Amino acid sequence: MDRARADRSELIFHGIPASPGIAIGEAFVVNVENLAITEDRIDEDHVESEIKLFESALSETEAELDTLHRTLEDEMGEEHAKILDSHRLILADQQMKSDTIGLIRDERFNAAFAFSQVLDKVLTAFMNIKDGYLRERAEDIRDVKRRVTRHLLGQKVEGLANLRKKAIVVAKNLTPSDTAGLKKKYVLAFVSDIGGSTSHAAILARSQSIPAVVGLDGFSTRTRSYDMIIVDGNTGQVILNPTPETVVSYREARVRFLELERELLILKDYPAVTLDGRTIELSGNIENEDEVDDVISHGAKGIGLFRTEYFFITRDTLPSEEEQYRFYSKIVRRIAPDPVIIRTLDVGGDKIAQWVVNNKEANPFMGWRGIRFTLARKDIFRAQLRAIFRAAAHGRVRIMFPMISVMEEVLAARAICEEVKEDLKQERYQIGEDVEIGIMIETPSAVAIADRLAHEVDFFSIGTNDLIQYALAVDRGNSRISYLYDALHPSILRLINDTVRAAHKGNIWVGICGEMPARVRAALVVIGLGIDELSASPVHIPEIKKIIRSITYDEAKLLVKKALQKSTLAQVRELLDQYIREKRPELQELVREVP
Amino acid sequence: MVTEKVKVNMRNGIHLRLAGEIVKAANMFKAVVMISKDSMKVNGKSILGVAGLGAEFGAELMIEIDGEDEREAMQYLVDMFDSNFSEKER
Repeated sequence: MDRARADRSELIFHGIPASPGIAIGEAFVVNVENLAITEDRIDEDHVESEIKLFESALSETEAELDTLHRTLEDEMGEEHAKILDSHRLILADQQMKSDTIGLIRDERFNAAFAFSQVLDKVLTAFMNIKDGYLRERAEDIRDVKRRVTRHLLGQKVEGLANLRKKAIVVAKNLTPSDTAGLKKKYVLAFVSDIGGSTSHAAILARSQSIPAVVGLDGFSTRTRSYDMIIVDGNTGQVILNPTPETVVSYREARVRFLELERELLILKDYPAVTLDGRTIELSGNIENEDEVDDVISHGAKGIGLFRTEYFFITRDTLPSEEEQYRFYSKIVRRIAPDPVIIRTLDVGGDKIAQWVVNNKEANPFMGWRGIRFTLARKDIFRAQLRAIFRAAAHGRVRIMFPMISVMEEVLAARAICEEVKEDLKQERYQIGEDVEIGIMIETPSAVAIADRLAHEVDFFSIGTNDLIQYALAVDRGNSRISYLYDALHPSILRLINDTVRAAHKGNIWVGICGEMPARVRAALVVIGLGIDELSASPVHIPEIKKIIRSITYDEAKLLVKKALQKSTLAQVRELLDQYIREKRPELQELVREVP
Repeated sequence: MVTEKVKVNMRNGIHLRLAGEIVKAANMFKAVVMISKDSMKVNGKSILGVAGLGAEFGAELMIEIDGEDEREAMQYLVDMFDSNFSEKER
């Protein structure tokens, strides 16, 4: 083990930042066992013993729950321990027992397979439940399934209740009953393979102010308990087996983060305006309802990017117009009178929904995604647009189309908007009247025709993450070339500059969303380029606000003019660093390198 | 056999724990208890069945009970619904 560990070098993983903060410590890996259920049939002679095996697995699970119940009761009180009541009732469910035994006897299924068949049937029924709250209770059933299966397959668990010293909890997924046995004081951070920023672990982490990174595909299987890891909940980076140098730099980063956090939140109630009086619309990126509070509490005005795809991909079936309408309205109402930019479905690329056919593409980032998908699936597109226009009656809504590369797409999408509006009026729905319609500028092709596009839309929003990837032809997941992925390359600055000029010439406003504005140097450039609106993850808002409030628009413009004349990335960085050093040293502490 | 219609007045619908309470109650009686919502009919003594109905706030359920103690059982279950499961769940 020690030798194996010594062999392992520093590895950097990128996930979804789910809760801010930095943690450094040893990993505690939870339930990594792979419950491999086979479909093997059993012999007739083994039917009775298989049934006995099933029954004893149920009673072992029950005993396990009793122990967990006592631990919970001691540490968190009786109310919390009640969570487990339904688990026990599931175990005692006669229908479930007789169905499973029936499958063992009649179909000669092995016990684990029979049991999983029965529960999967129930889970399928759960997935069809319309009410989101009720549907999510399926998590408890999955949990029982996992526990019983574990006993059937004779595997041991390292449960969170065994956590006895401070560690970073690493799991494939964290269910409510996993975290129920958890001792908060021992958790430095959460890391999970699956889940978005709205998963159970993410929400728990944010509510407890524990750093978390989720959506780190395969991380839990590559990590062993006691491995050293660093979790950066600000950037979504997780480092396995960091070198001593990395540890030192993150330790410093952690201290700075804590100080800065306190200091920056003071700015929450001040406007985002430069020293010479230029106001920049500063808004937040969100995926779900809960994050609206984060946007407000971090001092942003409005939502500059509401990614709707997460509502679609975190479920097994397509959400109906009504469900979408309810979901969007809630968010529109909560942020009103400030505006929200709702981006239409952007599936494809790295976000493939389960209900989108088995769409394996050789090159998904250049494939069937964004507006290309919705224009091909007009049923889905129309339902979403109808829901958005209806929700717009409750506040200020702007609609934005992703992945525009040619004019034809804009014209087609706008035509559908008009049809949808007309239909809704005929059906006597209340709809939002002055809904602005804009597009994302994230392909070099869109930049090239930005002057033309500006005549057809009300605003642009530059999506830097994809624009950088497409312009530099670099996949940032590829470690050999990820050094190329940098927002400050002269080519990227020029593309953004061209876009801003085209927008302003066409008398429309232009925003920017993506991770770019979250870095100090890049934020300076973006402000100097004349961007009107800036949207970032809520956690980054206070920092960006501080930058805006620390500089003048005039000097940022001048700085950008010089930057646009540079030929290399190094020259651009040096120019910006020199400026910060000499003119705005108070921003220096914000320059956080991502190692 | 007796049948009765009830309405779900609990804000969060019949989630797993409430389903558990219904099942516990149904199991106190000998009669067969079936509960249906729309076209779906389940065993009222199975928590997985009852929770799987996905009975949200405002849903209408049909309870069907058949057996010697069917009347007492029905009275008991209907009272549970009428009192919104007595506490907390409003």
